[in-house]
Amino acid sequence: MIGIGFRKDFADEFLADNKLHPDFVEVAPENWMNIGGYWKKLFKKVTEKYPLLTHGLSLSVGSPDELDYEFLGHIKNFIAEYQPRIYSEHLSFTKADNAHMYDLLPIPFTGDAVKHVGKRIRQVQEFLEQKIAIEIVSYYTPVAAEMTELEFINAVIDEAGCDLLLDVNNIYVNGFNHNYNAEKFIEKLPLDKVAYIHMAGHEQVADDLIIDTHGQPIIDPVYQLFEHTLKLLNKDVPVLLERDFNIPEMDELQKEIDTLRSIKKKNLKIHSHAAEKYNA
Amino acid sequence: MQPKNTTHKHQRSLANYCRTGEYTPIPGVKEKNVGRYRQLIFNNVKGSLESAYPLTHNLLAQEEWEELTHEFFSSHKCQSPMVWQMPKELYEYVLETNYKLADKYPFLIDLLLFEWKEVEVYMMEDIEPYPFTEKRINDAGLVLNPEIQVLSLEYPVHLKNAKDITKKDKGHYFVSLHREPETGRILFTNMHYPHVQVIEKLAQEPVNFEELLKIFLQYAPEQEAREALQQFINASLNSKLLLGQAIINSSSIN
Repeated sequence: MIGIGFRKDFADEFLADNKLHPDFVEVAPENWMNIGGYWKKLFKKVTEKYPLLTHGLSLSVGSPDELDYEFLGHIKNFIAEYQPRIYSEHLSFTKADNAHMYDLLPIPFTGDAVKHVGKRIRQVQEFLEQKIAIEIVSYYTPVAAEMTELEFINAVIDEAGCDLLLDVNNIYVNGFNHNYNAEKFIEKLPLDKVAYIHMAGHEQVADDLIIDTHGQPIIDPVYQLFEHTLKLLNKDVPVLLERDFNIPEMDELQKEIDTLRSIKKKNLKIHSHAAEKYNA
Repeated sequence: MQPKNTTHKHQRSLANYCRTGEYTPIPGVKEKNVGRYRQLIFNNVKGSLESAYPLTHNLLAQEEWEELTHEFFSSHKCQSPMVWQMPKELYEYVLETNYKLADKYPFLIDLLLFEWKEVEVYMMEDIEPYPFTEKRINDAGLVLNPEIQVLSLEYPVHLKNAKDITKKDKGHYFVSLHREPETGRILFTNMHYPHVQVIEKLAQEPVNFEELLKIFLQYAPEQEAREALQQFINASLNSKLLLGQAIINSSSIN
């Protein structure tokens, strides 16, 4: 399945012109919960037509603040109403000192953070009565790190017992920004936990810095990293195309979906042939 | 109970920097890149505020808008996890702090309230109306569109371009904002106090014409009151501020 991040910016066009053919849509529950009127009607239309996956923004699993159970209750109601196949969030924090930031800040790679975030993800999963997938975020500076990013991620996933949302573009961006080999990084992740993949474009703003804008088309090296990831994964997981800014014509987005679909199809075929050979 | 560890201290320092711009060195942080976070976060917040308050944004000089949004985000702790609801907190901030621009623009609070309520009514959860029919029913009560808010204002921000409003315009103004059921559009109705009384009465339960007339009779002789009320009802049915007449039982429908 190849999906699209569903946004209000192109919602009308998406439903009206029938040029975009994703297998599912993904939304941030925060943008569609507790609403009515025009957007609620439109959202219902979309969810009647496409399977839904969700990707939260404001739960702030890495926050030093207490978990917001009132907000978590709204998420639980949203999940009960729309039955998304996956609920995912970010390995980051968006709130501190009781103030929301509305963007993803990097968690220090420390032992304290592993225990804290692992425990909170478990609490979220218990409350929601389901496993969630956690996304490795892009970041532009480390913060008081005591271990490597890879050690941190693997320890959190292990401690939390959650699934992994692998944003391939984020790994590419982080590899560039922090000078590591993205392919080798992915090889060392707990790939058996990958439940969902994100793909997106980015913008290089300096010789040594890429910002994860989701505002450009996916570039070839990220497609190549995606292919490398699929070769390592021994299973079929949903893949999402994220485009949040500079929204192009729908057929441009469809071309990206087609490319992702064709790379995925080719690699799944290779896997299935390999499995047949092995089982024979 | 949260552990008081250095990890959390560093997280709070980073978040505080992003909100206020006051940077306390954090181990390992690339100082040339950390500003990107502040920039990204503030641009996101400012964009949401500009989208919710286009008239206020247009009214204020660029430096006034920048200063207002910076002061708001750095000194106010945003509470809503839903970014579309965050702009409401700007209105509350200006009101509660008696923000300095309110002297230069005495209608600023009314303008912010008016703009925020448009967003709020547009986005509010659906409310089931009292059962109604659009057919005419003798003596049946009129059904109010429940997706409505009535504002009491000191300045006519709904009637005049904000740049043309002066202190001389100060008075008592009423405007209702309601959501058109089919399209979800927000429609505004300029009102006088008797209209507000009618809306308040209908918000309790459906009431028929003769009962509503008692309100108008407090302000005008009978013939004039009848005509004015009928005109208001016709216009309100047309704009879907009123949805129709209450269904009491099926035999009452003509």
